[in-house]
Amino acid sequence: MRNKLRIATMAGAAGLFVLAALPAAAQTAPYRAPRMADNHPNLNGIWQALNTANWDLRGHAAGMGRVVALGSEDAEAPGLGVIDGADDIPYLPAAKAKKDQNYANRLKDDPEVKCYLPGVPRATYMPYPFQVVQSTKTIMFSYEYAGAVRVINMDKPTKSPTDSWMGWSNGHWDGDTLVIDVTGFNEDSWLDRVGDYHSDALHVVERYTPRSPETMNYEATIEDKNVFARPWKISMPLYRHVEKNAQLLEFKCVEFVEELLYGPLRKQPRANP
Amino acid sequence: MRHFSRVLSVGAASCAALLISTAFSQTPASVSKTAAAAKVTENKVAPLHNPDGTPDLQGVWSNATNVPLERPAGTGGGRARAARPEPGTAADVHYDLSQFGLDRAHMKIAEDTRTSLVTTEDGRIPARLPEAQKRAADRAAFQREHQWDGPETRPLSERCIVWPNEGPPMMSPGYNSNVQIVQGPGYVAIEQEMIHDVRIIPTDNRPHAPAEIRQYLGDSTGHWEGDTLVVDTTNFTDKTAFQGSSGSLHVVERFTRLADDRLQYEFTVDDPHTWATPWSAKTFWTLAGGQVYEYACQEGNHGMANNLSGARAVERRAAEEAAKK
Repeated sequence: MRNKLRIATMAGAAGLFVLAALPAAAQTAPYRAPRMADNHPNLNGIWQALNTANWDLRGHAAGMGRVVALGSEDAEAPGLGVIDGADDIPYLPAAKAKKDQNYANRLKDDPEVKCYLPGVPRATYMPYPFQVVQSTKTIMFSYEYAGAVRVINMDKPTKSPTDSWMGWSNGHWDGDTLVIDVTGFNEDSWLDRVGDYHSDALHVVERYTPRSPETMNYEATIEDKNVFARPWKISMPLYRHVEKNAQLLEFKCVEFVEELLYGPLRKQPRANP
Repeated sequence: MRHFSRVLSVGAASCAALLISTAFSQTPASVSKTAAAAKVTENKVAPLHNPDGTPDLQGVWSNATNVPLERPAGTGGGRARAARPEPGTAADVHYDLSQFGLDRAHMKIAEDTRTSLVTTEDGRIPARLPEAQKRAADRAAFQREHQWDGPETRPLSERCIVWPNEGPPMMSPGYNSNVQIVQGPGYVAIEQEMIHDVRIIPTDNRPHAPAEIRQYLGDSTGHWEGDTLVVDTTNFTDKTAFQGSSGSLHVVERFTRLADDRLQYEFTVDDPHTWATPWSAKTFWTLAGGQVYEYACQEGNHGMANNLSGARAVERRAAEEAAKK
């Protein structure tokens, strides 16, 4: 009896312990990523977004594609959307008209169609991997699509010397989060295939936060006084490529768009390009 | 800016030839200034290392050079260059390219007084095999007939696909000769400003990608030999040709940082369809500092449409002239 009581007490105590421990676990002690020699999280790896934000940042049902001949291969894949805490992008009224015009002309005007550099944040959620090469001094983001690249200055922030497609990136660490402040954009990249766009006043603040050995959270706050009524944010997880010998391959898409861009200028234009 | 970069590239294509042809007749100020420092750095010093123990090759480097790939005639077979010609003499006359910002005095160039990058005894590339000569002749003959037919018959650089300097082996493009190296655990990434291409080289000596995957820059795999990064590259397409090479080109590069501001870049190329023997070359890079700017090429490539529409206009005019006769 005494033994039984004792066992019961122990069991009860263990139960209490478990109960006490559960809420603590549910509070999720923040994931602590493997470290570099400088004690910052190690973000090295090949990453990719697994969503349809490149089709449309908003939540969207599946839809008709743009090229009839491609049938379901070009159909717009559905997605729950990646805009944080809102259904839509807060366009200024005049800017909304431009967005709608972009949508109407998207087959002709989307820079992705012409193999142009993707800009930021679009480079992150295009349907291609990118590789982070992180040293203690510098961090390089190399994107498979069009061979786009950014080198993040982790030293004292510097001012963009000129506008560019991929912008000018100054980074710093906020705890375990890599924060990249990107300015110096030109006005030519888009945010997705449905014509969401920005001006050269675009300012993007990205946050990369490790959340497990094979995933990290990506957030981008997007600000542009010429186009949006207020800053807005997108967020999504990024997934690590874990296959053996994963590597970026060349995706030099220029040669795939030459017929589109220059076909009619050939000496003998192709009958069925 | 986009327009600017294309205009510059057109200018530079013609300037590159000038730069090479005048390399021997001028001694840029930057070289004179750095000559003393370079002598010191010739003595191999303990290389810098990353916290993980790998040699530190990182930085923004200039791979510009005054040394021609092959030893030109007239050097008397010498392996080192003569001193600068007497100022004001005919031998000292050179083109001033400063209006394009391309004056060599504006570029950082590693001190190097050799007469060729090629390290063969005579400083020359071995003669190409007959099949390689035929390949080149066929290509040239085809180009003479078809160079304006469409985008595919224009040079890869004009198409913004790949610049001839990119290799590997990586050569100086003549301008924007900037190369940035970033190292992460198990990887060395090399970005060439021309034309924003990145080579990400794993250093675990892994096997090459499957043979059916052919790439403009090939497939590179690497390992460390002491303080030297050794990179082996195969899987090339047959669309690039390094000194007449074929898709069977095999390149081995060796990167060794000799000093804080000096990196030795060696390569050996072999190709059973081009040369009877492998051959090697060596050059030096100097630390350029700063950041590499974006070289967006395709995005501002008005040249391609202009060239092709120009060719069509010429044909139309010729047809009209012919019709009048």
